[in-house]
Amino acid sequence: MKNKKIIDVLICVALFVSPFFLNMYWTDVLVNVGIYAILSLSLNIILGYCGLFQMGHAAFYAVGAYTAAILNVKYNIPILILMPVAGIFAGIFAFIIAKPIIHLRGDYLLIVTIGIVEIVRIALVNNVFGLTGGANGIFGIDRPNVFGFIVKTPFHFFYLIYFLLSITVLLFSRFENSKFGRALVYIKEDEVAAEGSGINIAKYKTIAFVIGAVWAGMIGAIFASKMTIISPDSFNFWESVILFTIVLIGGSGNIKGVILGSFLIIGLPELFRDFASARMLIFGMAMIAMMIFKSEGIFPPVRKIYKIAIK
Amino acid sequence: MELFFQQLTNGLTIGSIYALIALGYTMVYGVMKLINFAHGDLFTIGAYLGLTLLTALEITKQFGTFIGLITLAAMVCILVAVIGVLLEKIAYQPLRKAPRLSAVVSALGASIFLQNAVMLIYGARVRVYPQNILPSYTLNILELHIPIVRVLIFATSLLLMIVLYLFIQKTKTGVAIRAVSIDHIASKLMGINVNKIIMIVFIIGPALGGSAGLMVGLYYGQVNFIMGWSYGLKAFIAAILGGIGNIPGAMLGGLSLGIIEALGAAYFSIAWKDAIAFFVLIIILIFKPTGILGERVAEKI
Amino acid sequence: MRKFLFLLSILFLSICFLANPCFAKKTIKIGLMCPLTGAYASEGQDMQQIVELLADELNAKNGINGTKVEIVVADDGSDAKTSAMAAQKLITKDVIAVIGTYGSSNTEVTQNIYDESKIIQVATGSTAVRLTEKGLKYFFRTSPRDDSQGLVAFQTIQKSGAKRIAVLHDNSSYAKGLADETVEHLKHAGMNIVFNDALTPKENDYTVTLTKIKSQKPDLVFFTGYYGEAGLLLKQKKEMGWNVPFIGGDATNNLDLIKIAGKKAVQGFQCTSPLLPTDLTDEKAKMFMTNYKTKFKSDPSSIWSVLAGDAFKVIVKALEATNSTNSDVLADYLHNKLKDFPGLTGKISFNAKGDRIGDVYRVYKVDHGNFILQ
Repeated sequence: MKNKKIIDVLICVALFVSPFFLNMYWTDVLVNVGIYAILSLSLNIILGYCGLFQMGHAAFYAVGAYTAAILNVKYNIPILILMPVAGIFAGIFAFIIAKPIIHLRGDYLLIVTIGIVEIVRIALVNNVFGLTGGANGIFGIDRPNVFGFIVKTPFHFFYLIYFLLSITVLLFSRFENSKFGRALVYIKEDEVAAEGSGINIAKYKTIAFVIGAVWAGMIGAIFASKMTIISPDSFNFWESVILFTIVLIGGSGNIKGVILGSFLIIGLPELFRDFASARMLIFGMAMIAMMIFKSEGIFPPVRKIYKIAIK
Repeated sequence: MELFFQQLTNGLTIGSIYALIALGYTMVYGVMKLINFAHGDLFTIGAYLGLTLLTALEITKQFGTFIGLITLAAMVCILVAVIGVLLEKIAYQPLRKAPRLSAVVSALGASIFLQNAVMLIYGARVRVYPQNILPSYTLNILELHIPIVRVLIFATSLLLMIVLYLFIQKTKTGVAIRAVSIDHIASKLMGINVNKIIMIVFIIGPALGGSAGLMVGLYYGQVNFIMGWSYGLKAFIAAILGGIGNIPGAMLGGLSLGIIEALGAAYFSIAWKDAIAFFVLIIILIFKPTGILGERVAEKI
Repeated sequence: MRKFLFLLSILFLSICFLANPCFAKKTIKIGLMCPLTGAYASEGQDMQQIVELLADELNAKNGINGTKVEIVVADDGSDAKTSAMAAQKLITKDVIAVIGTYGSSNTEVTQNIYDESKIIQVATGSTAVRLTEKGLKYFFRTSPRDDSQGLVAFQTIQKSGAKRIAVLHDNSSYAKGLADETVEHLKHAGMNIVFNDALTPKENDYTVTLTKIKSQKPDLVFFTGYYGEAGLLLKQKKEMGWNVPFIGGDATNNLDLIKIAGKKAVQGFQCTSPLLPTDLTDEKAKMFMTNYKTKFKSDPSSIWSVLAGDAFKVIVKALEATNSTNSDVLADYLHNKLKDFPGLTGKISFNAKGDRIGDVYRVYKVDHGNFILQ
């Protein structure tokens, strides 16, 4: 147990100093890994803990990114202030759509969430309300400004993103062990029993959806300011599939697993970039192989043993 | 009014292709409770194999159009079915006892693999079928223009679906397929070879998908390596719309999706066509969570 | 568990290892950023073939003033995020200039990245107007702009005498841009636009769209999308027995269009386009096209990949003439001193914004299965 902790700490330290030894390209790869890690952790609440088949997470991410982009470009509000605003918008959006569909089960929920992400993308492409700029998207988004310091290069973004990732990990690991987190896992394991124990299933599922969406929306704002231009292409169904895969390959419901999953799905293919066209072929094969040999993901969720005080 | 009927016939042809692909989704889902995301790519493979056989062997020139096309269809069906069976053996069979979502990820991986394999073999450019194989005669009934090929596509898919329906309803194997889709263990106890049934399903589904691919290639004349994605997704919606696991449901779902798309585009907006289709799907699922013809199945506890 | 942590650290080490710049033989590195995967993969593959063939020919003839040229290829994946990473990658490989890329929005995400590192970028298929309106010093493009095409398209429509116009695009950044530019001109001239909507690209059946357009009774249909959809539209229009004239934008100038639609259906179809690869007049260009055809067994499928070849040629010219690899010197040369350079697609000069000077657009009409220059 102690050894494991030491290794964890070593890895974290290695990660945090790595930008000093890496060139811009690989730092940028790590930044992307970090963004996907945070996104996947937010999906993990819905898919991993609560077991809801959500394959449309890019929709929430898109709502957040577009909210931030529109407000930033129109009213010049700094991105970091817009982060929570983007999160709230994404959360409200999630609340509205979750209400009617939350009672759907398994694969039906899966197809509905795919439908939602596609509807959002089509709406963005069609320049809905004249706000989203159609296929061109929105450009000229500001870079984040941290107390007068402008985050610009991949090196800067690395520290911003991994700072956010640390906060996310900290909060979500607290959440995992909270009463609420345990209730979600209970719903995943046995919905009927959970309901029987007095858990309001619809309410808990909706809240899981909203929390996941808020987090995805916030990171959407950061993504928008990193790219300085966003277009509907960045939020298609395929993005949702990637997030879905990260969570399941890493180990749904396990924070460490999800982060490792982001490294494998986002970071590793970069090593094969020189194979160009054959790259995705290998990627597809690897997905199958991974599931065959580690069907619960690399880190399956740890079975927790809670000490119950028996009177 | 004639506009309405013209759009209706347009939608029916599109829908019959969806229905044919949807059957593959629905049958696999029935027996394995698995969304076979790679099914759309089997459809693409069917289209490309048809192209290869057609240009390399010049079947239609050797045997005449009619017999040539039937031979071609048979060959495509067999080849795609072989790929389908291999797919099941490699990517799905090891995961039968694994959590449901693991098989979904494996299916997504298989889809990516097949799609890129097609791209590497045939190139990323659009490929074009040889012209003038099918008759280009257009029927003109009461101001409606209906190319005869579209009627043929509709009739062929309908025929295939009816044959399949009779097969499932009337034959012993069909009964076994229905039994397996209700309960694996109980069917095993009744002496049904579940593995064999799953294999049969992975022969029929991909064969139908492949034949749909061939029809699309022959009629529309162009194929590209990513077309399986959108056709697959649409067919999947159709299967869910009709009630997944239910064979008449897939037919009904496919045809209704085709019509919804056509009328949605005609009377609202073409650009929003796919969004309208998804919207209708969501509405139907909210009010009837198991699809149009889906039966209420008690969730296993 | 520990095994995987071990794996993770291996992953790190390998990233660090790979990241090390290798001090190899001295060459001039030119980056090529193009879509090798994703929706535009076919364009990117042509781009790579052309540029690498040109580089081979150059290196066989003593390179740039004796130094060999090395092409560093980065896949932009046909999407914005991958493009940004490709740009970072090329910068770390110490390229002096970059060719690419194809899609306008993908080029746009990389503009700032190259500009901050002072690297010359010559885009090849990115026609969106706004790219050169930002005052970026190191950005050029060999492709024309949407507004110049919009004007040519408008003139062609006006000449046809049509009064009721249907405009159809595919909601891609490029096709929408061209449609908007043209519609602007058409409205200004008081023409009646009876239809303006987008189809969904990469589908096969457009009868629903055609039936809807037909019900508006236009005299002419202008489609700004790509050749795959245009071919199907023409074919299905013929099946409907509808004889409305059809005009396409420059993404339809592809020989596959005729194969898809069939010679009969495509008869009389017009499109605006830069010179097609087969119509290039320059002797050197013709010879290069013959070499290309012998090596790759087919013509480049569109003009956009040939424009990548031109981007390569102007960069090489600038490097030769200035004998310098300083970006400021190179940019100054391209802006001010390069005049009427004989490229593959005609004479090339750049204006202060980095746009190519001159009318690039022509009108083509299809006759008996061939694109004929009007």
